[in-house]
Amino acid sequence: MKKKILLVEDEKALCLLYEEELSREGYAVTAVTNAEVALAELGTTAFDLIVTDIRMPGKNGIELITQIMGLRKDIPIIINSAYQSYKEDFMTWAADAYVVKSASLDELKTKIKQLLGD
Amino acid sequence: MIETYNILSPDFERDAPRELMLLSIISQSFFQPFSLEDNLLVILTALTSGSGVGFNRAMLFLKQGDRLKGEMWLGPRSAEEAGLIWEVLSTPGIGYVEILEHNRALVSKNQETLSGRLKGLVYAADEEGALIPAYAACRKEILLVREAASEPLVDRRFLNVIGVDEFLCIPLLARDDIVGEIILDNAITRTPITPADIKLAGLCGLMAGNYIYSTTLHRKLLDMEKMAAMGEMAMFVTHQLRNPIVAVGGFTDQLLKPDIPEDKKRRNLTIIRDEVRRLENIIYQMGHFLKVSLKEPVYFDPGPAIAAVLSSPEILTKSEGYVLNAKLEPCLPEILCDPTSFSEVIRNLLDNAFDATPAGGTVSVRGYRKNRSGFVLSVRDTGRGITNPDKDQLFRPFFTTKENGMGLGLTFTKRVMDTCGGKVEVQSRAGKGSLFKLIFLCREKELTT
Ligand SMILES: Nc1ncnc2c1ncn2[C@@H]1O[C@H](COP(=O)(O)OP(=O)(O)O)[C@@H](O)[C@H]1O
Ligand SMILES: [Mg+2]
Repeated sequence: MKKKILLVEDEKALCLLYEEELSREGYAVTAVTNAEVALAELGTTAFDLIVTDIRMPGKNGIELITQIMGLRKDIPIIINSAYQSYKEDFMTWAADAYVVKSASLDELKTKIKQLLGD
Repeated sequence: MIETYNILSPDFERDAPRELMLLSIISQSFFQPFSLEDNLLVILTALTSGSGVGFNRAMLFLKQGDRLKGEMWLGPRSAEEAGLIWEVLSTPGIGYVEILEHNRALVSKNQETLSGRLKGLVYAADEEGALIPAYAACRKEILLVREAASEPLVDRRFLNVIGVDEFLCIPLLARDDIVGEIILDNAITRTPITPADIKLAGLCGLMAGNYIYSTTLHRKLLDMEKMAAMGEMAMFVTHQLRNPIVAVGGFTDQLLKPDIPEDKKRRNLTIIRDEVRRLENIIYQMGHFLKVSLKEPVYFDPGPAIAAVLSSPEILTKSEGYVLNAKLEPCLPEILCDPTSFSEVIRNLLDNAFDATPAGGTVSVRGYRKNRSGFVLSVRDTGRGITNPDKDQLFRPFFTTKENGMGLGLTFTKRVMDTCGGKVEVQSRAGKGSLFKLIFLCREKELTT
């Protein structure tokens, strides 16, 4: 069975890129462009891992994480953000990993593998 | 019946009591857009000009870190020079601005002499065994020194510099902290310092201290604000640049893989092209809207400039599916603005209007005289409008609600309008639409025949 990843990313091009690249790695990827849809997906599917951006229109990534924690779902979360500086925001500590977006997706892929125990 | 008076009466009244005169000179200067240095000079001026306290010379020490440093020394170098200076200062009708001008020249001229001699004088500002002059500051007491040569508390180096036997030390305090010290003497006239002189000089010291303190605070605050704004800006720009760069890099990597199908190649190249355009646009906006200095405004006919923007390819593409109408009154006046900035401002207002309006909506441009010297150019849309909390932020750098926005367009607009003596006004109702009005100074077109 393929492991399921929920991807939250508001930039259309990046959303597509991550979806394709993670699928290539052998994951089943559900890509959504905002936190509200992400929460709806979480209600119906049991994901193995979540990758989320922080700055998004509507609910931001940190609010999303807070809500997921409230749902008491024990899913590993990776923050994938263009901002270095959010690393210092204490709420991002709740995430299991923090990856600064980069043109190379290696770091993201490695972190996913680690967290999924592959 | 009521009578109104100027808060800051600008004239010198020669027969007013000198206490009042002094207070008026100093407090007026604090309302002028002078620099800290100039205002300190005003204080020294007040202490030395005949209509102020009337000391011959005034010397200023400022506290920097934990030391008192000699900064400025105002006064004639000789009896001869004194005669000349005092003649100028007693010219009837001369105001403090003129006196200040005069003294500024004097201070810069005697840089090598009076003020120059001060430069080497540095004292610890809070030391038990401090010598005079620092002694007064350390003890927070006014000190009248007589027979200085035989006073062991006087620093010999200082005595050499000041070269008189009688002088007055006024510590400058702000909220019980030392910020500096002023030293006064009558080196030329040799008149003794009186208790009345001391009282007045003390009062002056109080004002000077508080002035220095508040200016330093203000500077610190400005620095902090600037730093915070820069941090915010750096963060925003990083984000705006990083996203397209990641997309370009990621899709290029895919292209380099051997198994990529033909249709995906095309798609990736299209994405890369679009993202590069986006990068270009970000760089364009940063370059244009953050320009350090704006061009000087000139009078010009706005008609052709507006027409050029309206018929530019970008606006024609953007306006597809909208009703775009423009009505300018005949015989437009000439308006005051930099023409290039003007076109950029109009273009951005139109961009914003289309961005805020769903297809099928209307964008209208109007140009009309408000009165003899004011011309209004307005852009109205029937879009989503602006909520009240957002209204306060519109002109802040980097305020944007758009995914690809930079939030610099309206910041630039405001700067351009400030530079040409114009105004921007915004009216908007959420859900109904917005109206942006630019009000320019204008004049009738010069007839060329
Ligand atoms: N006509 C308008 N209707 C609604 N909102 C507007 C309008 N013009 C400007 N705004 C708001 O002001 C913000 C700042 O505009 P601007 O400074 O031009 O930057 P940008 O267009 O890059 O966002 C916009 O993101 C938008 O939220
Ligand atoms: Mg804009």
